[in-house]
Amino acid sequence: LVFHYTQLQVTFPQQASILNQSLCRATPSIQHPMWCTASINERQYRDMPTHGIGRWRHLLPKQAVSLQNSKKKDRNQQKELVSATDTAYGTLNVKVSGYDMTVVEHYSQYIHNLCNRLNIKVAESYALPTKSTEVLLMHEQGNKTYVDGVLKTHQRVVQLSSLNASLCPVFVDVILKNQPEGVQLSVQEHTEADYQARFKARPELEGLIAQINQ
Amino acid sequence: MAAPCRKMASRSFPQLLCYFSRIAVGSGACRRFSVTPIDRATPRASTAADRATSPWSLMAAVCLQRLPVITADCSPIEQRFKQMLQQMELEKSLVSDHELRLMEDAERMSRRQADDYDSDEEDRGDQEIMMTQDLEDTWEQRLKNFQPAPRVRADVDKDLSSAQRCLADSLVLLAEQQVGAERLWLLPQAAWQEGETLRQTAERALDSVTAAGVKVTFLGNAPCGVYKYKLPKAARTEGSVGRKVFFFKAILADGAPGSAPTAPLLWVKKSELQKYLKPSYMMKVDRFILNL
Repeated sequence: LVFHYTQLQVTFPQQASILNQSLCRATPSIQHPMWCTASINERQYRDMPTHGIGRWRHLLPKQAVSLQNSKKKDRNQQKELVSATDTAYGTLNVKVSGYDMTVVEHYSQYIHNLCNRLNIKVAESYALPTKSTEVLLMHEQGNKTYVDGVLKTHQRVVQLSSLNASLCPVFVDVILKNQPEGVQLSVQEHTEADYQARFKARPELEGLIAQINQ
Repeated sequence: MAAPCRKMASRSFPQLLCYFSRIAVGSGACRRFSVTPIDRATPRASTAADRATSPWSLMAAVCLQRLPVITADCSPIEQRFKQMLQQMELEKSLVSDHELRLMEDAERMSRRQADDYDSDEEDRGDQEIMMTQDLEDTWEQRLKNFQPAPRVRADVDKDLSSAQRCLADSLVLLAEQQVGAERLWLLPQAAWQEGETLRQTAERALDSVTAAGVKVTFLGNAPCGVYKYKLPKAARTEGSVGRKVFFFKAILADGAPGSAPTAPLLWVKKSELQKYLKPSYMMKVDRFILNL
């Protein structure tokens, strides 16, 4: 290979850009037959000095593998308590609830997008089951109540994994100023009980456990 | 706050739990002067040594905000857009249950008027036909009986010391305090003392200016702004060149503050702040008060 290069530098000093073409045409070598057939756009042979010149993914730390593995497993909540110069809060739940589902959802989406903008890591964003409330009014004449309407309370939770303490007042202020009407906002720490409350109760399992314990 | 039923549903901001307020053992001063990350085992002597070298004395101030109670009015273009969106949604929407029932009833009525009406074919009796329209009429009646409170009350708006003014804007609390030789309008502040966090100082500042029983939620342990000023040459000593004031944000959670405050209070909008604050102070305060 080197032999070829030096030869060509002597013969074609100005045409460095079309070196490949000139190689194919000027020296049809038997050692590298594919060079004649290869066009410039095809991937070059591994002996080429510039082989793999654009590779960068091998330089990154090995994170991708572990991320792919954790998809199937249960996602455990990760509680972080970073106490450094900038103290950060642990896992926080921003709970948005209200009667009007479109408003509640849009507001929770707004909060999520705001967190992405401000580079606050959002651990999870989920919805809690809807609670229906029946409004019963008394008849004017009698003691009987009648169903006036059904109100459904929707709840959305945006879970933030770590919130910088210096960013917190700004973030909460912006959220409060943009709170739409009819929507209640609450920011609380995430607890194990909150996590377990999302699961459905399994009465048969509990019955069996009770039987075992007896 | 004895509020008559408002036209817009008032929102509440419950349960902002005060979390981790005691994690940072050191005060704000400690955090500012120490360059290395905090090791909580470091003795307090380091703080005192650091403090002795600095000629700035610290103060904490509170930016107490009352959030808007009702929505702001829409500008003309916003109104037109809103109407257009509503029209689009109406045209794209499907018929609701109530409307379906109305249509069925109307259909049934028209069938009854027809000549070859056989009442045995009908499943339901007369009662159902009346109910849906009656329901609608009763609802309309109740709507007419409902008197919403007026959104804007001009006399309350002019009263600067009332927390009920300008319900569509967010207001900031200003107090008149003695600074040096003169009385100035500024955000309530207090001097920092040894052994307390800056946030506690801010809470103390608020308590000194408003009456007790005011429910206030602080938005965080970290300050949102700082203002430093040098004392006039006459007042400067070896130990104190000037003051640094750290601002903390807080939200008025419930109820009107202080029926009998010790110092005069003002609730002002951001646009009115200019009239009361000094220009250099105003520049720093302007940066963290959001006018959304």
